[in-house]
Amino acid sequence: MKTLIRQSIRTGITYGIVQIFFILIAFNTMVGIMLAKISGIKNPGEIPAAKFLIAYTILMGLWVGISALSKKKFLPAGHKLLAGFTAGLVSAILVGLLELAMTGILVNKIFIRDFLTVLSFDFIKATLFGLTPVLGIVVTMGAIVLGSLLAVGLNIVTNLNAVQEHWKKDLSFLKNLNDKFQRMIRGKYHLIWQIVGISILAVAVIFIPMKWGSYWNYVFGTVGLYVILGLGLNIIVGLSGQLVLGYIAFFAIGAYTMALLNAPEPHNLMWGFWPALLLGVLLAALSGILLGLPIMRLRGDYLAIVTLGFGEIIRILLKSDVLTDFTGGPRGIQNIQGPMLFGKPFNSEVDFVYLIIAGVLLASFVYNRLQQSRTGRAWLAIREDETVARASGVDTIKYKLLALAIGAAFAGLAGGIYASRNQFTGPDEHALMASINVLSLIIVGGMGNIPGTILGAFTLKGLPEILREFANFRLLAFGALLVFMMLSRPEGLIPSHRPKYDEPNEVSGEMKKKEVPHDQ
Amino acid sequence: MILNVDNISVNYGAINALRDISFTLNEGEIVALIGANGAGKSTSLNTVSGLLRPTTGKVEYLGSDITTVTPQAIVNLGIIQVPEGRKIFAKMSVWENLEMGAYTVKDRKVIQERYEMVYQKFPRLKERRNQPGGTLSGGEQQMLAIARGLMAGPKVLLLDEPSMGLSPILVEQIFDIIQEINKTGTSILLVEQNALMALAIADRGYVLDTGRIVLQGDADDLLHNPTVINAYLGGETTD
Ligand SMILES: Nc1ncnc2c1ncn2[C@@H]1O[C@H](COP(=O)(O)OP(=O)(O)O)[C@@H](O)[C@H]1O
Ligand SMILES: [Mg+2]
Repeated sequence: MKTLIRQSIRTGITYGIVQIFFILIAFNTMVGIMLAKISGIKNPGEIPAAKFLIAYTILMGLWVGISALSKKKFLPAGHKLLAGFTAGLVSAILVGLLELAMTGILVNKIFIRDFLTVLSFDFIKATLFGLTPVLGIVVTMGAIVLGSLLAVGLNIVTNLNAVQEHWKKDLSFLKNLNDKFQRMIRGKYHLIWQIVGISILAVAVIFIPMKWGSYWNYVFGTVGLYVILGLGLNIIVGLSGQLVLGYIAFFAIGAYTMALLNAPEPHNLMWGFWPALLLGVLLAALSGILLGLPIMRLRGDYLAIVTLGFGEIIRILLKSDVLTDFTGGPRGIQNIQGPMLFGKPFNSEVDFVYLIIAGVLLASFVYNRLQQSRTGRAWLAIREDETVARASGVDTIKYKLLALAIGAAFAGLAGGIYASRNQFTGPDEHALMASINVLSLIIVGGMGNIPGTILGAFTLKGLPEILREFANFRLLAFGALLVFMMLSRPEGLIPSHRPKYDEPNEVSGEMKKKEVPHDQ
Repeated sequence: MILNVDNISVNYGAINALRDISFTLNEGEIVALIGANGAGKSTSLNTVSGLLRPTTGKVEYLGSDITTVTPQAIVNLGIIQVPEGRKIFAKMSVWENLEMGAYTVKDRKVIQERYEMVYQKFPRLKERRNQPGGTLSGGEQQMLAIARGLMAGPKVLLLDEPSMGLSPILVEQIFDIIQEINKTGTSILLVEQNALMALAIADRGYVLDTGRIVLQGDADDLLHNPTVINAYLGGETTD
């Protein structure tokens, strides 16, 4: 405890000094001007508005807090709070002292610009946010402490498991509560709870899309499609361990199958949505196998490069002028007809959200079954040691192809729905960046598990949309968030726990579910 | 003759790892394949198990040619390799490793019997059956690797340096187990650098040197052969 406080004070002093230095080189106004520009002010002038300087100060506090908590992931929440607050307060006091001195300069009209060029009266006033000196100092210190507390909050939120573990250890009443809760959901009421949970979820899933506006349905539909894509790529990369990069090509195959069969131009075939979707899924799976056959011997980087090439070839083919009559060329294909269900056409985002939710459920179900099956174990064996897997009698080529085919089929499904929902598809929707997006979402979310994939899709596809309100801050905030996440959780937001079963009971053959961490 | 390796040559690209070597394994035998590091011992085993293809020559199993048969089909025929370096699946639990060993077996009842047989031979593995393979000690991992091989119900077991990196006591234990396995009717091709131990339990032996077989004969004769003593037994004499 004492060492913790001592450490935090040291961190506070270090970063306090850094902040004093920053102010003395007018870094605060520089950042303030940058923030002002990002938020759309054309000409913020030499001294930015006070709110940007306050934002800067809070960021500084955040920095202090993060530094004070670095490598302290496993502290209990209370200790984290103490450490973050102490460090924040100490550096706030240091900065406060500096500002007090600056106030002295201001009040006594000491002209020191000759020595320290930046310390003009205007600058000092701006640093105090244009408030009265006392108030300015209080606000500065408050902002720094607020920032450090924010860091504590972030640290706790991003390390929930660690914190939970400590709750279990430290606070017996919480432990008891937790035990009770676990017993309630695990014990003989397990089934009841499961049913209650599923019903609540089902009700939410059925009614929420109706209440939402079409914008939100659009956003969450997109997230859902990326969940399907993420699960598909996770089968290939996460389960069978093949680093495939041009994954979006399979999505393109699904989308174009839908478009070519279900749009008036260029072929006017006008198939129904469902057969077109099915064919798209099958063609994607088939192309997965066709891509797979020649690359079965490749591993690691080579596999990544070759599959990346495959993705680009598909896109270039779709875009090529030569094939314009067949694929619509660079302009893509318009007026894709929507699905019909029970004789009634899909005409709103709500309908599509239901369709997508059904797709997500199907994909999750398939993913889950596969992971826990013999096939899942064969994939794990291949991932761990392909040669030994072969020596154990696993037909590695078959299983690797199977992973490619199923993963590709997921992408085909998402692609078909996507094209039909947008009533349009074009070659540039299927660029390399999209493949990388999908790969990032499974890396951010946590490789190889369903909740991670869902969270990753929300973070990478949903959050940017939600952050749209913050207009120009969006990219900055988003980038910062990603960096922050990768730093605090390099193994993804939800690290993979392979569902594992105790050895089958000889008598009943029943399996007990348990989780072991893997993929560290 | 259960296994007949006839004049095989194996290349890794331009590297000539085996040159026209032949050896045989009779029903119920333990045959030792000894030689220094890089002599081509693992290459020989990998060729028998189908992981590598010879450029010339053939491999016969119970009289039929298996030279071009796939590894998984060879496993199905009852030739099981225990790879060198205790290659177990580290992230799978012990029983899952065993389950992987029985991957080609469809009959649950047979698998269950094999579990019992294996757990009886290796009580330690039973104790640790729900523990990830990677958390086992070196000796336990080697036992797991052998046990995994047994789960497939081998007629021929190819053991690649089972004593590698183990303490003398553990080596003793492992070799006892190998003999036990042999007594229950499994023919064993034993690859070893530890020539003394291998020849002590073997019926016959072959000495490999840079891809060629330079000596062969009864294990006892080889144990007393001056060349073998000088080159592989560190010059010490055995009784
Ligand atoms: N994958 C490989 N690629 C190229 N050369 C190899 C490979 N594996 C083995 N070799 C070479 O083949 C020869 C025999 O190796 P190996 O069969 O592993 O010997 P041993 O098992 O007797 O130590 C050695 O010269 C080795 O360098
Ligand atoms: Mg070897």
